[in-house]
Amino acid sequence: MKELRDLATKLLAEGTVNVVLGWEEGPRGVRPAFATDAAAAGRLVFDPRCTQNLVPYLSPRRTQVKKLGKAAVVVKGCDARAVAGLVRETQLAREDVVVIGVRCGGVIADPASPEPLSPATVADRCPGCNSREPKLADHTVGELPAAPPGESRRDVRIADLEARTADERWAFWQDELGRCVRCHACREACPMCFCERCVADKTQPQWVDSSPHPRGAFAWNVTRALHLAGRCVDCGECERACPVDIPLGLLNLKLARVASERFGYTATDDPAVPSPVGSFQKDDAQEFIL
Amino acid sequence: MNATLDKTSFEPRLTAFVCNWCTYTGADLAGTSRLQMDANVRIVRLPCTGRIDPLFIVKAFERGADGVIVSGCHPADCHYTSGNYHARRRFAFFKELIEFLGLPEGRITFSWVSASEGQKWREVVNDATARVRALGPFSGYPGTELPAWPAAGAPAPNPAPGGGGER
Amino acid sequence: MARIGVFVCHCGENIGRTVDCARVAGEIGKLPGVVHSVDYKYMCSDPGQALIKQAIAEKGLTGVVVSACSPHMHERTFRRAAGGAGLNPFLCEMANIREHCSWIHEDREAATDKAIDLARVIVEKVKRNVPLETIRIPVEKRALVIGGGIAGIQAALDLADGGAEVVLVEKEPSIGGHMSQLSETFPTLDCSQCILTPRMVEVYQHPRIRLMAYCEVDAVEGYIGNFKVTIRQKARSVDETKCNGCGACQKACVVKNVPSEFDERLGKRTAIYVPFPQAVPNIPVIDREHCAYFKGRARGMKKDACGKCKEACARGAIDFAQEDRFVTEKVGAIVVATGYELYSIGKDQPAAGLKGYGEYGYGTVPDVIDGLQFERLASASGPTAGKLLRPSDGKVPKKIVFLQCVGSRDPAKGIDYCSKVCCMYVAKHTMLYRHKVHDGEATVFYMDVRAAGKGYDEFTRRAVEEDGAVYVRGRVSRVYRDGDVVKVLGFDTLNGTPVEIDADMVVLATAMRPRKGIEKLAQTLSVSYDRHGFINEAHPKLRPVETNTAGVFVAGACQAPRDIPDSVAMASAAAAKVLGLFSNEMLEREPTVARVDAALCAGCFHCERVCPYGAVEHKEVRDRKGNLLKVVADVNPGVCQGCGTCQATCPSKSVELMGFTDEQIYAEVNALAL
Repeated sequence: MKELRDLATKLLAEGTVNVVLGWEEGPRGVRPAFATDAAAAGRLVFDPRCTQNLVPYLSPRRTQVKKLGKAAVVVKGCDARAVAGLVRETQLAREDVVVIGVRCGGVIADPASPEPLSPATVADRCPGCNSREPKLADHTVGELPAAPPGESRRDVRIADLEARTADERWAFWQDELGRCVRCHACREACPMCFCERCVADKTQPQWVDSSPHPRGAFAWNVTRALHLAGRCVDCGECERACPVDIPLGLLNLKLARVASERFGYTATDDPAVPSPVGSFQKDDAQEFIL
Repeated sequence: MNATLDKTSFEPRLTAFVCNWCTYTGADLAGTSRLQMDANVRIVRLPCTGRIDPLFIVKAFERGADGVIVSGCHPADCHYTSGNYHARRRFAFFKELIEFLGLPEGRITFSWVSASEGQKWREVVNDATARVRALGPFSGYPGTELPAWPAAGAPAPNPAPGGGGER
Repeated sequence: MARIGVFVCHCGENIGRTVDCARVAGEIGKLPGVVHSVDYKYMCSDPGQALIKQAIAEKGLTGVVVSACSPHMHERTFRRAAGGAGLNPFLCEMANIREHCSWIHEDREAATDKAIDLARVIVEKVKRNVPLETIRIPVEKRALVIGGGIAGIQAALDLADGGAEVVLVEKEPSIGGHMSQLSETFPTLDCSQCILTPRMVEVYQHPRIRLMAYCEVDAVEGYIGNFKVTIRQKARSVDETKCNGCGACQKACVVKNVPSEFDERLGKRTAIYVPFPQAVPNIPVIDREHCAYFKGRARGMKKDACGKCKEACARGAIDFAQEDRFVTEKVGAIVVATGYELYSIGKDQPAAGLKGYGEYGYGTVPDVIDGLQFERLASASGPTAGKLLRPSDGKVPKKIVFLQCVGSRDPAKGIDYCSKVCCMYVAKHTMLYRHKVHDGEATVFYMDVRAAGKGYDEFTRRAVEEDGAVYVRGRVSRVYRDGDVVKVLGFDTLNGTPVEIDADMVVLATAMRPRKGIEKLAQTLSVSYDRHGFINEAHPKLRPVETNTAGVFVAGACQAPRDIPDSVAMASAAAAKVLGLFSNEMLEREPTVARVDAALCAGCFHCERVCPYGAVEHKEVRDRKGNLLKVVADVNPGVCQGCGTCQATCPSKSVELMGFTDEQIYAEVNALAL
């Protein structure tokens, strides 16, 4: 903690950056902090409650953050992939941000919860994590904690769904997506959703019905998942943001597996690795094409 | 619709999104060769499979199609060199996603049909029609069915929402 | 409100037999926005087209739908008719109710229903068509020819004679290519140099040709009519403006044992050299790898290790300090004529998947040579001054075995195509051999003799009937050195007997392959190539010298194995295509191109990554004070070919393909659901 605070203070004092994006203690657990002076830098924290990915604040569309000046951002290994994603897609110049990596032992699913990190509270993506130390970092702080506790449930859930019949899957997802109120919180929380105008807001023509109607909900969720195919950084923010608890992570994970199995791509914090969108191999598998 | 076909059987409606250079021309060849095939497929012509957005397919199902065919040039044959390669990746993601969401295999048929494969086009059309016929009507969104297809050519009883204005 | 006119064609009986055209016209006439809907026997006839023109004039149509045959058949016809009546041609579209309906269905009801659907889809599309203007782009009337072999020379001369400025780039120190290495040419046996050299000189002297030898194309930007080419001028170490080609430097050079590339390593050259006496330009180049001066420098010597050439040069043309330079040329068209190389069949294989022919001893047995080496041995300008002497001991070979199809037509070894020229040049070799060694025995192992071409079959027969070549049908399993002779073990498949020959020399007719590095050049030019690296033509029959990139043409053996007459014909054809292009002040292009909405573009550049043509550029958006707001994608309409992959890839739909906009397709999909 001290290491993080000292580094942030130093970066601000030197004038290397004007603001450090991190986490601080709030009235309900931790909250994002935008530290512009030594006092604020001295309040930064990092612990398993720092679930939120702060990289969405680096999107060029977040003009209020941009106005603060050059930023440093504190990232976990998963968040670092989002930085790489923004760099890869020319939303952020690598030299325009100072990346402070934190070594991570897993975060809890609900950062407002007072419960400590345990197999019961750990975020679903954390067990088995292989990027607990960001590679894309200018500074890395903290000791590497023990590996995240527990086991991931989502592989089991995907396997369970895949074992069902198409009609059962359809019913399952219609039920899940049927709760969608089209608030688009998933989009707002996503570091990789940075369009000037989302296709879901396009009205001429209106590809995605705007109403929270089974057709609109289906079209929106298909679109969201597809737009993130091969781009999703698996930070879990969409699912955490969803007010009606749609398991969006399952859709993301399913497509991440497709990217990995078909195109050999896994989300990485190396911006030089091309994403499967915009590239191809002449011998990509095509067993589904007659 | 399809008044003279056996009225007791279900006649599916299929929308085909095809590229202009290979499959559309292959379908032309099927015509010039007088290859008889099922009359359930309506072609929408696009320049390239690269132009085909999965939203087209989603929209076709929303608007009452029972099945969709997507077809273009074989790999390495693309008129635009690589549009079909990019399309193939896009379709791979889409196909896996939509089946994970529970759309049965067979509602969507992906194929490569070259300009010389009139015969293959007929097979694609007949086979896709048979598969969709076996699956029955697409009624994926309970309670939101659109009005039945009216007599052919009748004006739209219910103009499509959000279709954009005419110019 | 749209005012659409619909014209349903009977196509005689072709449509009318299966589709009730009157019902189609009637039903479509009820659609909102359709103000005119008729059927007619033959819409493409003059009276049919007159119906369209008349309706446009009288009813003030804003769009026309012709429900007839395939748009591939008559779209142009009807767009021209619409244009003739003052309607923007791109407001006219066709519904295909013949190929896609009446010809493939028998049931009249079902076919008519389908025809109505197909027409309705296009009506809904046309309602959303917008007038488009044919794109006009200026043409830079200069051409770049890449490769100075016979194809490049011919293309350059035809272009220059036709009035175009030409930049001819050759990577070797001299133009001339493989043809300059040949002794005589089939089927006339005229001397290759005698017919080629005058053409090379003509290139050099032509006022409209800029010859850039010892240069390579480094980068290509732009599009048809407007290419910007960066050319690397490799350091010759000789000042071209001072050198007069006297040759004193070569006499003075102390390094005299460099294997000569021109003589296919059968002869030697100096480190400062011109490849052959008739070289054009006749300016030497220092081979820095072998030059004593540069070797000394490479070893870190401070003192000059040598400098004899510099001392010998009276004009002070030697310039050891010369470096590669880059020049940019603006051209309107590019002809690729990079030619071929022979399949290197020795141990080191040039590409993955090629297996070579270790069993033939090439590279280990000195008297096993390839076709080009035989050319040099038979050439009056060659290392033996035209005497046929075998490389190992300089004896006159009394028995030569020629093997055809070494590498070609052998999928197991990696190449399945026929190299086309080998049958002919092997026949020529046997004749040249007999003309030089009258008692020599020539034996040819062949798979087939492919001698299609004017005078070609007669030529191969002459080899057998007049010059006594013995043709054995069959393959050779092994070639090895046995004392003084080269043993050839083969099989005569017509007799069904094994054949064993003690030869003095073996000549392998190895396959033709595209030049090394062609893939990189093809990528620079955005042209496609096949798995062997040969450049793909735009259409194998109808567009043989065009490539899939507009403004880039192909000639000669870089497209497929070609002999001299073929290469020259292709070169002239490419030149004619380029001159045709240059005959226009402005180029006209279909306006089916993509456009970016800069206000919506977030600049993720997925479109740039998927564009097959590199048509997407970066554009800066600035506010009134000039502050950079963002960098967005911008499509160059001259480069865009209209595939629309960008649009389907763009997550926010900020790019639209004109003629196939989202609104149009949305309307089509919706029209099917009605």
